[in-house]
Amino acid sequence: MAEFSTSVKDQSGVSVVYLTGYLDAHTAPMLESNFSDLISGGKFKIVVNFKDLVYISSAGLGVFMAFIEKIRENAGDIKLTTMNDKVYNIFDLLGFPLLYEIYKTEDDAIKKFQE
Amino acid sequence: MNDVFASKKFNPMSLVMNLGILNAIMFLGITFSDSFLSLIFGKISDSLKNPGIIFSILSFVYVTIFAAIIIQMFLIFKEFYFLKQKRSSSIYFNTMVVFFLLASFSSVFHFFSSLSYIKNTFVIISVILIVINSIRISWIAFIVKKEKISLLLLSVIICTLFIVNLVNSTDTNTHHRIFNEFSGSLGSFFRILMIYGSVYFAVLFFTTLFHIPTAEAFDRKAQEVSSLQYFSKLITQVLDFDDLAETVTEIALKVSNADASWIIWKEEKTLRQLAHKNIGYIDAELITGYIFRERLYRDTGTYFTENLKKFEKRSQLNEQYSAVAVTPLETHNQVRGFLVVAKKGDFIFDDEDKSAINTFSDYASVAIENSRLLEESIEKERLEKELDVAREIQRKILPAKDPVFDRLSISSVFIPAFEVGGDYYDFFEIEKNQSDNSSGKFGFIIADVSGKGISAAFIMAEVKGIFESLSRINESPKEILTKANQILKRSLDRKNFVSAAYGVIDFEKETLSIARAGHCPVILIRDGKVNNIRPMGIGLGLDFGTQFGNSLEETEINLKENDLIVLYTDGITEAKNLELEDFGEAKFENVLLNHSSQNVDEISNEVIKEITLFSQQGTQHDDITLVILKWKHNFNKDGEKEWLNSAHQLKTRVV
Repeated sequence: MAEFSTSVKDQSGVSVVYLTGYLDAHTAPMLESNFSDLISGGKFKIVVNFKDLVYISSAGLGVFMAFIEKIRENAGDIKLTTMNDKVYNIFDLLGFPLLYEIYKTEDDAIKKFQE
Repeated sequence: MNDVFASKKFNPMSLVMNLGILNAIMFLGITFSDSFLSLIFGKISDSLKNPGIIFSILSFVYVTIFAAIIIQMFLIFKEFYFLKQKRSSSIYFNTMVVFFLLASFSSVFHFFSSLSYIKNTFVIISVILIVINSIRISWIAFIVKKEKISLLLLSVIICTLFIVNLVNSTDTNTHHRIFNEFSGSLGSFFRILMIYGSVYFAVLFFTTLFHIPTAEAFDRKAQEVSSLQYFSKLITQVLDFDDLAETVTEIALKVSNADASWIIWKEEKTLRQLAHKNIGYIDAELITGYIFRERLYRDTGTYFTENLKKFEKRSQLNEQYSAVAVTPLETHNQVRGFLVVAKKGDFIFDDEDKSAINTFSDYASVAIENSRLLEESIEKERLEKELDVAREIQRKILPAKDPVFDRLSISSVFIPAFEVGGDYYDFFEIEKNQSDNSSGKFGFIIADVSGKGISAAFIMAEVKGIFESLSRINESPKEILTKANQILKRSLDRKNFVSAAYGVIDFEKETLSIARAGHCPVILIRDGKVNNIRPMGIGLGLDFGTQFGNSLEETEINLKENDLIVLYTDGITEAKNLELEDFGEAKFENVLLNHSSQNVDEISNEVIKEITLFSQQGTQHDDITLVILKWKHNFNKDGEKEWLNSAHQLKTRVV
């Protein structure tokens, strides 16, 4: 399978996590460690940018579930942005739009945090 | 001293030392026999003519000791002669010994001075043979430089001792007289042996002298040869990585003439140090920090040396290392770590050290790669075993056969992925009235557990148990899914969830009611049209609050003749070809539509055929589950009877 990589950028107090490639059972631990690092660093305002994500499997979706409770308890949130149609469809089927805020652009998500 | 002869180890230096000691004893014996014996017995010549009992015993002991020493010496010389002698040359030595004996025994002729030429001839021949045999010293090349230097000194001393002993024994002193009294032949043999010793050690001295300049180069060559043996030892020692690392540094020390060695291994984010040899952890840590202070260790893929003289923290080191050489350990062109060797004092690493270390690190890399591959294959085997168990669980959980109804034909196909994907489907017959096929209800579920492998299989088993019992309570799909979510709350890990669709067909009312918890939509094909039944709903385990129940919708449709209801998991729509493109909804719906007039088995066969054609040789990443139901409203029609008869068979095909 193709590679997966992440990068984290701090944008006016909001941590933006960029995902690239294939997020599945094998690559999910990478994202998990990203989230763990952010949480242990006290950063609970997280925006995940899906622009370059090609595919997400159920195990990949599980990563978001694993941390959301902790993050929301700390007055933070994970907001999802810039998904391609295929990735959005996967989130949509599972009912993620009812559980997460999904935005068209990264800026929208960041603005939402700053409100 | 006997063990020198017992063991066949190559140890010329101890032989030399033994000879030296024996010589010294002789020297003392000869020197003090004069003064000591005359002190006790007065004039020796008188005692010899009229020996008292004590004198006899003493002189006997004296001669015996000397005889023993002579034999020992002779044996040592013999050992020397055959040391590292490649060609079989015992004939030279044996000839020499024969002449030694002849020269010794012929000394009995000294009573007849006219015959003394016989003895002299033998002695001369012996001396010639001694010279010839002494030149053939070949073991000198095999000792290391340090030993050669000490040998130089020893050979001078021992040679001198031999000459002194020889000269002393030809004098007319007490020693000589005692020997002559006992056995002139033994005395002669002793003298010849002394000649042999003097010549041998004189030759040894010069040979050693000429060997000294090349000693270091020879040492290194010898070490290279022996390191080849180490390499083969390396290759076989792949079972344990830590053991391997220990061996690598141990050998690195030997091949590079260094004082210390250790390995720096790249972990995910840090550098780990291991297998320290002759160096403390703190020293190694300090030096490691210094040598990688400017270089990015990720980028360093070549050998380099570093002078530690400029190291500002050098004074903190327990040992004053002066230079280090670092060479990468690579597997698959990827730098996995570094082998570091360090020297003390004023020594630096020269080109030959460099080539030795580099060659060695290549071998070490191969060994490490082997070790890694072995570890991987063990891990793979373990995973495969685990997956076998998971597949077995899954096989037992899925229904063994499709149920058979007059008005509903069912076909299910399940194709497991190599890594068990967590697909689950099941059928529940609710309130089935044996006598009346048109009454009762039929429930079905299709689900996909997140994650893969054994953990997914266990969740599947749990999900089966939950739906098995909930389906009996005869509630609506929405209520069943809501209850299932509540039950799963207790056991499901936060990052696991289950997508599911639950449907109930009411034979009496001829309706299908469906609720969907995050699963793929249910496809209904009616009158040549594809309808996606996609009521709202969140996956099981994603929300344990009120959100789940509040958002869950239930759809009810009235069934019509030839309605085709298709349940599937994303293993179908996400089946990939070699270009990693998805099979997709459109293709899937097309196949269903094109074959919707056929019976359910034929339709599912067509779908699987299309997917197989599409994915070619591509790997199947996820489980594929396809369940097709076809509703027959007027099952009493004649044409349908035939179809019914052929349907009574096991229809689940687990491919």
